[in-house]
Amino acid sequence: MPFSFRIQLFAVIQVILTALFTYIFVTNEYRDLSEQNVATLESFLIEQKQQELKNYTEIAKASIQHIYASAAQDDENAQELVANILSTLIYNGHDGYFFVYDELGTNIVLPTEPYRVGQNYWDLLNDKGEPTIQILIENAKNGGDYYRYPWNQPSTETVTEKLSYSDFLPKWGWMMGTGVYLDNVQQQLNSVQSAIDEHTDNTRFIILFVAMSSIFVIFAIGTILHFTQKKETDKQIDQLGQKIITLQEDEQRHISRELHDGIVQVLVSIKYSLEATGKFLARENINKPQPLTQAQTNLSNAITEIRRISHHLHPRILDELGLSDAMEALGKEFSERTNIAVTITKPSLSKLLPDHINITLYRVVQESLMNIEKHAQATMTNIDLAIIDDWLTLTIQDNGIGMPEINHDEPSLHTGIGTRNLAERVKYHRGQFKITSSRKGTSVIAKIPRSAFAHHYTQQQEPIVSETV
Amino acid sequence: MKPLSPSPIKIMLVDDHPMVRDGLSACLSFYDDIDIVGACNDGTEVLNTTKQCLPDVILMDISMPNQNGLEATEIIKEAFPDTKILIFSMHESAEFVKNAVHSGASGYILKDTDSEEVYQAIKTVAQGRPYFGSNIAQMLLTNSNTPSNERLTAREQMVLSQIATGQSSKAIAQTLNISVRTVEAHRRNIKSKLNIDNLAELVRYAIEQGLVKAS
Repeated sequence: MPFSFRIQLFAVIQVILTALFTYIFVTNEYRDLSEQNVATLESFLIEQKQQELKNYTEIAKASIQHIYASAAQDDENAQELVANILSTLIYNGHDGYFFVYDELGTNIVLPTEPYRVGQNYWDLLNDKGEPTIQILIENAKNGGDYYRYPWNQPSTETVTEKLSYSDFLPKWGWMMGTGVYLDNVQQQLNSVQSAIDEHTDNTRFIILFVAMSSIFVIFAIGTILHFTQKKETDKQIDQLGQKIITLQEDEQRHISRELHDGIVQVLVSIKYSLEATGKFLARENINKPQPLTQAQTNLSNAITEIRRISHHLHPRILDELGLSDAMEALGKEFSERTNIAVTITKPSLSKLLPDHINITLYRVVQESLMNIEKHAQATMTNIDLAIIDDWLTLTIQDNGIGMPEINHDEPSLHTGIGTRNLAERVKYHRGQFKITSSRKGTSVIAKIPRSAFAHHYTQQQEPIVSETV
Repeated sequence: MKPLSPSPIKIMLVDDHPMVRDGLSACLSFYDDIDIVGACNDGTEVLNTTKQCLPDVILMDISMPNQNGLEATEIIKEAFPDTKILIFSMHESAEFVKNAVHSGASGYILKDTDSEEVYQAIKTVAQGRPYFGSNIAQMLLTNSNTPSNERLTAREQMVLSQIATGQSSKAIAQTLNISVRTVEAHRRNIKSKLNIDNLAELVRYAIEQGLVKAS
């Protein structure tokens, strides 16, 4: 679990880093691109405006040409005519107009604010602090040029950036100019900018969305993986547990056998040798020495002790006589120890079961009897082993107080490791395990399908039968 | 010293531990009215050895490789009903004793019994009376009233399994190396113990109990 969690975390961090990187990269790219675009667009629009202004100026010049060309340097009539013509050239609503100043900055034509005519604006500074009129005159004298400056826009009465072109009428020393307010250029640029911004936001959102959904998917997959893995692991743990139990039982059986059939037999032979020695001495009319008697007593104790250990490790009766008799021996021993009456019903046949089923059911009986002794306060116990409808059914029933923590048909999860372990072991043989309990007593039922052992007896008998032939 | 019998009792020791056999032989050699005529260490050899040395009493261990002493006892009793079998075992449970009696043993003593008692047991059994070691007799007394349904002996169970797989009495007799008459006797015993009186029922029972697999 911690391992898969680490992998998940790693993947999530990876996604976040990638998303962050993409986000920053894309944002920068877009910003650069939009700045470039806007700049290109702006210069394009300005160029357009400039062309426009130049055209207007050409038109204006053409419209006064017939007067200006033939007029003298101080022909005031001609000057007034020209001033009137220029005053009437209005375009773009009220914002497009021509203005005329003399070389010294005195206003000659200003259609939007005619009251300014005759006044001198040589020293007028615009919001940028530049002498507007001086620069316009300068541009005009230099053959005509453009100038961008903040200026009051008549239609809105606000200060707006204005682009003006000024040309020079050298004969009269007049600076003639016209300009456009760049507010609509700015508007256009803004709308382009906002379109780009919107696009950028979309992209950002997509990145964010992709990152979030990736993280979600990683978590989802991780969780699914975790659960399937856990299931697999649980299964493996079960199998391993079963294997350990089997190994342990095998090992115990082995050691028990070694003790019982090996060491005990050697000790028994020693016992008879000592007895033979005693008899020999008696025949020679020699009193039996004390150490010999002592050795015989000690030897008997050793034999008893080892047999006890051997039986505790693995009941040999199970191998020699089968489950029914082993159960009966267990029941009798239990009955003698606890004074709880035990009745046993067993089938007419014996030794039908393979070793591992044998020992499992034996442990079921053993554990159940132990529980009865410890908790049940029972006076009677029934142990019943029978084949019922294709199932070998082992039932251990008592008339005690029942298990308070178990209700009807509840699985045995709360009854401690022992019982739970038994359930696992029975299930391992494709069997069923159930404990039911009421105030009138408890019954433990373990069932093994007949198919789990049906062929065992005949298989087991074959080598012996053929040897006897 | 015990008074001499007209002819010594011929005994045979069956135990898979030569050391135990040697130890016991050493002890029994002090008794003149006992003659150890044979020994073997495996249940499957018992029948042949018995045929060779014709003992009066066989001292039979239970836990042995291949075939245990109880099954061997049944086989001997089939062929030599007059030969007495005295179980000589490490096993102390009443179930072993009961099974031994069912198999046809005349007596049961524990392996750590004093040789003097072993001698007494052999004598008693040879005279045709049962003998159970003192601790065993006690155990049988306390357990004598346990009700139990009739159980088949190992040999009967083996015969039943062969009947259930469709073998005739003759074939079974051949397989188990016994007479047809003995097989028939087993058959009768099985039927009466299981309270079944026809072959079909017998086969069905064997399959239901998982003795043989339905083919």
